[in-house]
Amino acid sequence: MGLYYDSWLILFSPLFAFVVIVFGTRMWDLFSRPVKATAAQIEEAHEESDIHYMEKEGPHGEEETLEEDEDPQVPYLTMGAKVSGYVAIVIMALACLYSWMLLLNTTGVLSIAPPLPTAGVTIFSYNWFVQSGGLVSYIVAFHIDTLAIAMMTVVTSVSLLVYFYSQGYMQNSAGYARFYAYLTLFTFSMLDIVFAQNFLVIFIGWELVGLSSYLLIGFWINKAARPAEDRPSPATASIEAFIANRVGDVGFIIGIMILFANTGTFDFATLAGSGAHGVAHAFAGNLGLLTLAMILVFCGAIGKSAQFPLYVWLPSAMEGPTPVSALIHAATMVAAGVYMVARTYPLYLAAGPQALLFVAWIGAFTAIFAATVALTQYDLKRILAFSTISQLGYMFVGLGVGGSLYGPGPGMFHLFTHAFFKALLFLCAGSVLHAMHHALHRETQDMRYMGGLARFMPITAVTFLVATLAISGFPLFSGFYSKDSIIGLTFDRGDYGLYIVTLVTAGMTAFYMLRAYILTFAGKGGSFGGLWGGPYRGAAGVAGQPWGRLEGDQGVAHEQEPHESPPTMTIPLILLAIASIVAGYWFGFYGYIWPGAPALNLGDILTDWKTWVGVVVAFIGLGWAYYLYAVVGWAKVGQVVYNNPTLNFLHRVTLHRFYISELYALIIRYGVLGLSHVEAAFDTYVVDGIVNGVAAAVRGAGRDLRHVETGRVQSYMVGFFGGVALLAVLVFVLVTFVK
Amino acid sequence: MLTLYHFVALGAILFCIGLYGAISKKNAVAVLMGIEIMLNAVNITMVGFSFFNTVKPYSTYLTGQIFAIFIITVAAAEAAVALAMIISIYRKRSTVDVGEIDMMRW
Repeated sequence: MGLYYDSWLILFSPLFAFVVIVFGTRMWDLFSRPVKATAAQIEEAHEESDIHYMEKEGPHGEEETLEEDEDPQVPYLTMGAKVSGYVAIVIMALACLYSWMLLLNTTGVLSIAPPLPTAGVTIFSYNWFVQSGGLVSYIVAFHIDTLAIAMMTVVTSVSLLVYFYSQGYMQNSAGYARFYAYLTLFTFSMLDIVFAQNFLVIFIGWELVGLSSYLLIGFWINKAARPAEDRPSPATASIEAFIANRVGDVGFIIGIMILFANTGTFDFATLAGSGAHGVAHAFAGNLGLLTLAMILVFCGAIGKSAQFPLYVWLPSAMEGPTPVSALIHAATMVAAGVYMVARTYPLYLAAGPQALLFVAWIGAFTAIFAATVALTQYDLKRILAFSTISQLGYMFVGLGVGGSLYGPGPGMFHLFTHAFFKALLFLCAGSVLHAMHHALHRETQDMRYMGGLARFMPITAVTFLVATLAISGFPLFSGFYSKDSIIGLTFDRGDYGLYIVTLVTAGMTAFYMLRAYILTFAGKGGSFGGLWGGPYRGAAGVAGQPWGRLEGDQGVAHEQEPHESPPTMTIPLILLAIASIVAGYWFGFYGYIWPGAPALNLGDILTDWKTWVGVVVAFIGLGWAYYLYAVVGWAKVGQVVYNNPTLNFLHRVTLHRFYISELYALIIRYGVLGLSHVEAAFDTYVVDGIVNGVAAAVRGAGRDLRHVETGRVQSYMVGFFGGVALLAVLVFVLVTFVK
Repeated sequence: MLTLYHFVALGAILFCIGLYGAISKKNAVAVLMGIEIMLNAVNITMVGFSFFNTVKPYSTYLTGQIFAIFIITVAAAEAAVALAMIISIYRKRSTVDVGEIDMMRW
């Protein structure tokens, strides 16, 4: 059992790494940097600033931004900075190893410790404070069970690969050590959620995740917004992410408070139990309130997992460094909402079907909505962002339809497989961005400047293709098992509406992912019928098309060829590509995290007609994308869409993401700010009015009453004796008539 | 036969006369005279109470009478101060009309 009881080491190892980096190696890095720049460097800096000055003043210069200032670079990384990275990687590797040992032990592959009890093991418990004479206690407790072990394996594995990858991606970044400090804090926050035994701890982790994502999304604080690409500045994006999460957290905390006020406990196991503190007992005859509470708790997941009304922060979060996007999308941030719902699944079951139906429909709507948006985007990372939103929608559908038999199994299984291929997609995108930055000397995420990159970066292209097939549900890849079982389950449950929506979304997913692959790495004229290589567009964009370049694009002075990324970046890609295939073959996953759930069976899957419906839909999506972008060619397709008013209109609407962000901006400008104007008026005229009115009344009274002071002794005397006479009369009356 | 009521009535009448004089007279000296009358009205009342009250044992200690003597003393001192003030004001302002002596207003 020691293996289980020592697993707090996994939880606290990233925090330890954080402390070591912040107080140790980062200080080392800062103090060991060259204090004085050499004469050559100063001259170089001067030259650069002169160029920028000229550009800013030039006739075309208003869109120009200071690229070098956006991501401050150092000539070389100091030993302290490098050691920061090594510390994070080594510690995370150990944590990853430990969680794999736990996973293998609990699945029965290894037997180095006795089997884990079904209820799990509480590894740490501390009575924070006690209220009402011991009636209510606030306990900080960590707990592991199979669900937590599955999740911590994903978190530590993806974190490790992202840390490793960041060595290449963040090469020579001035904030290298700081970046690793934030990354470790991020992983710690997520592990805190994974290890949480009660709502109190999960909420702490929840907020820590919000904080660390804020820090990481806004990592390049000096970067400006790019209106031509419809991209906010990282500073804005980080605030947006923080605020969108706050909105969801309001619901989350109200939900927790409803549960706590009625049961008197935060503890998941106690809440799910049948005792006096369990929801079954506390909400007996009042299930509507429990349903409301669980929907409010789900609001937290809507914010954190970027579901429909609050998803807007996730595309903006693309402004962070790409490894951060991978971490956010695969393991640490958006997974928190799904994991939280899975963790509180018994409570959802207790709340009755409405709560889970709500979860499923929010997920389904988000899935199809985000997939629609992803169809037309030019921005590679934005496609991936919307694909994450869409896939998270699938996870919530899976959670919603799981029921008491499957539990959170389908949703968590998709989370599990998705973590690998989505991390892979983002790391590939990072590799592409790295290459494009080298080629065009500017940050380029727009696919109009890419195309045919498979020739230059074959490893990235192959791994991206693997992830594309996995996310599309191509047979025998991991997404095929996890996603199709969710779609099949909606049909089995009789929710035909959900079935149609998820099925259509699957087709759209296949379409936009293959579109992204072809537009980035291949194109018409490449080998294998346009699936490999092909013309590289470069700074010219889609030649001869009015929509083929960014608005205000000034071109690039000395273009170079893109190149494959260094091994620090490609090794994680290869590992994740393998994981993207094999992760789906853990058929016992449902039963592992939810005792009693049936295992997947390859024979059943392959003989089920619904599987083949799903495959056909996926192939329709893939084939349509292949036809449009590899056979017909993007230029021609784009021309047709551009010249057809209806298609052009639809294209513009989806390209602008249904103008939801603009709608929110309007709501905030006229709703929230309007309300604040009303409140400001209330403050000015009512609150200030009362204060100033009191002062004015006192002043006026003083001005008028001072005339009573005549200064004549005799008038005072009249007043004095008049008062005495009055008092005498009063006393007389009282004494005479009131006994 | 003189009773307590005669003394009290006399004191009250004198007090009202003095009060009327102190309030209505314009001449500061007349006002001072009114005040003196009020003081002596109080003296009469006190002496009367002291003389006629046989219920309370301490009346035999002549408390009221002694108080009257104190008041006469204080009144003499007060009259001296007040007359000095009146003379001083007259020297400064050439008037003793209390209606015009209103330096202490707002």
